[in-house]
Amino acid sequence: MSGNEAAIAAEGLGKRYRLRGSASRSLKSAALDLVTGRSRGRRDFWALRGVNFVVRRGETLGIIGANGAGKSTLLALLAGTTAPTEGRVTTRGAISSLLELGAGFHPDLTGRENVFLAGAIMGLSRRQMRARLDAVVSFAGIEPFLDQPVRHYSSGMYVRLGFAVAVEVDPDILLIDEVLAVGDADFQRKCLARMKEFKDSGKTMLIISHDLPTIGSISDRILLLEEGRVRGLGDPGEVVETYRSLSRRKTAEGRAREWGTGEVRITGVGLRDETGAVSERFRLDGALEARIAWRAAQRIENPVFGFAISDADGRVIHGSNTQIAGFALAGLEGEGRLCLRIEPLTLAAGTYLLSFSVHSADHRRNYHRLDNRFAIAVESDKTFDGCVDMHSEWRCDEE
Amino acid sequence: MLTPWKSTARSRELLLILVGRNLKIRYKNSALGFFWTLLGPLLLILIYALFLRVLRFPIRLPVLVTGIIVWQFHAMCLGDSLHAIVGNANLVKKTALPRIVFPAAMVTANLVNFLLSFAVLCIYLAIVRADFGAVYWLPVIVLSQAALCLGVSLIVSCANVFFRDTEHILSVVLLGWFFLTPVIYPISLVVEAFPRWVHVLFFLNPMTGIVTAYRGVLLSAGSGGVPFLGLSFGVAWLFLAGGLAVFQSFQARFSDEL
Repeated sequence: MSGNEAAIAAEGLGKRYRLRGSASRSLKSAALDLVTGRSRGRRDFWALRGVNFVVRRGETLGIIGANGAGKSTLLALLAGTTAPTEGRVTTRGAISSLLELGAGFHPDLTGRENVFLAGAIMGLSRRQMRARLDAVVSFAGIEPFLDQPVRHYSSGMYVRLGFAVAVEVDPDILLIDEVLAVGDADFQRKCLARMKEFKDSGKTMLIISHDLPTIGSISDRILLLEEGRVRGLGDPGEVVETYRSLSRRKTAEGRAREWGTGEVRITGVGLRDETGAVSERFRLDGALEARIAWRAAQRIENPVFGFAISDADGRVIHGSNTQIAGFALAGLEGEGRLCLRIEPLTLAAGTYLLSFSVHSADHRRNYHRLDNRFAIAVESDKTFDGCVDMHSEWRCDEE
Repeated sequence: MLTPWKSTARSRELLLILVGRNLKIRYKNSALGFFWTLLGPLLLILIYALFLRVLRFPIRLPVLVTGIIVWQFHAMCLGDSLHAIVGNANLVKKTALPRIVFPAAMVTANLVNFLLSFAVLCIYLAIVRADFGAVYWLPVIVLSQAALCLGVSLIVSCANVFFRDTEHILSVVLLGWFFLTPVIYPISLVVEAFPRWVHVLFFLNPMTGIVTAYRGVLLSAGSGGVPFLGLSFGVAWLFLAGGLAVFQSFQARFSDEL
């Protein structure tokens, strides 16, 4: 048995769901389908398509992606609870899974009975499970409720027991969907410690999480899904950054608007950081330089270029223009470039949207406006409230 | 990969837990709990005794009660089978365990219940000095009925995942099936009133043969139509084969439909 033996392999994996107009199918609609020879109100939806990857034994693979990207479907396919529409999955070893917030518990069974049920599902005998019961119960912290039906459990207790059971049944492969999102901070710490222990014991693990820093630190590699397809697979740092940039672009797409009369057009904007490198990531107290390329269809007198920075929700944080800055532009003709430099950048860490515009001096004519068109990220180690860093000092006021 | 042996052991453990749960849930929140299993058939015998005295139905009480208790096993299985998969949605969606354990556990739980009722029935029959016949056939009869129940339950539990109309259809089918089976009338009634080819049709209904066989063994009564008993038992096992085939071909889609 070599260390890089594949524990999980997915080849051309695809899963199609049939979406129906009504929630549940009736015999009538089925009969109608049969008679008319087609499906009414039906839509095909590929939750996952063309997914290929291999997870080596002992490797921890993180899975990230926006809601609806197919993460949970992928885990369900690996766990074998649903069958792929195309392609195939090969797994080697006993799999234990915690899918979509909660284990496969039976609500009418007590916590204790469910522990044994989970053991039976994993192929462990009653005796083997009895030996593990104490560890499960103390980890989950549900001792007083052990003989209550799990339907009476709080959602936190439910997830805690689910995680404890999934880990304690001694699987070769552990699949976990978003445990870190639920439970209190204390439990999350315990979970994480237990996952690290599991990883250190040379077992294979697949985790889904929206907690990017955590998943980035625990995973050996990360798989990024977008709309059912693999967008990245590899080094956690790189893939997480790809994902962040992807979701920034999504934020901008939702709010972006381009309009204007078109006498002058902004043909391109290049953003650079203080080192002069093209980037969409900036640092607090660093510099942001925007190189704005323009083209005028005719001669335009006294134009004004403006810019604005908004937060991810589209609220303007700061805006200014050449007129306010007292930077007079006599007239535009042909093509040219204008440079805007912001330094120091005093924004808190987060995602921001940049807008650029060119309009007449009296603001009557908007030649070209790019609203919320460029998404940038600001990174910082400094913590403070709000989105703007203001220079502030404290002193004792002695009269 | 699991060895076949380990896989069977795994399924047996699962089955035990699920059967235990099924039995436990049935008597949860009831004061007498488990005793209902014994009390139920006793009360049933009492009520039918009163009913027969008032209505003068052309059937002897032991024959009627035997039919009713045997039919109850069948009807309970079919009723419960609606929820065998749908009611375990959480487990079906989140674990990869073999889906057949759910209907199998449900039928097994009902079988346990039936055997207890059956014991009460036998005590009653002994008290009224019934004429026991070839009782060594009982295991075959019980097993065949369980096979029929599992076969039909597999189909019903599967159908209910895809069509929620199943529940309504089932109640009508069960009512029709009840009257086509010699439960509240003796098979001799059919034998005397109809020609031979109708007998064949009657025994195509597996429950006809099963009820008749129980009565033949326990009461040495209603042995008319014995030549066709084999037909009923054959159909019962065919139901199991058909049910397994249907279930096998649809089970992969359960978790998507639920």
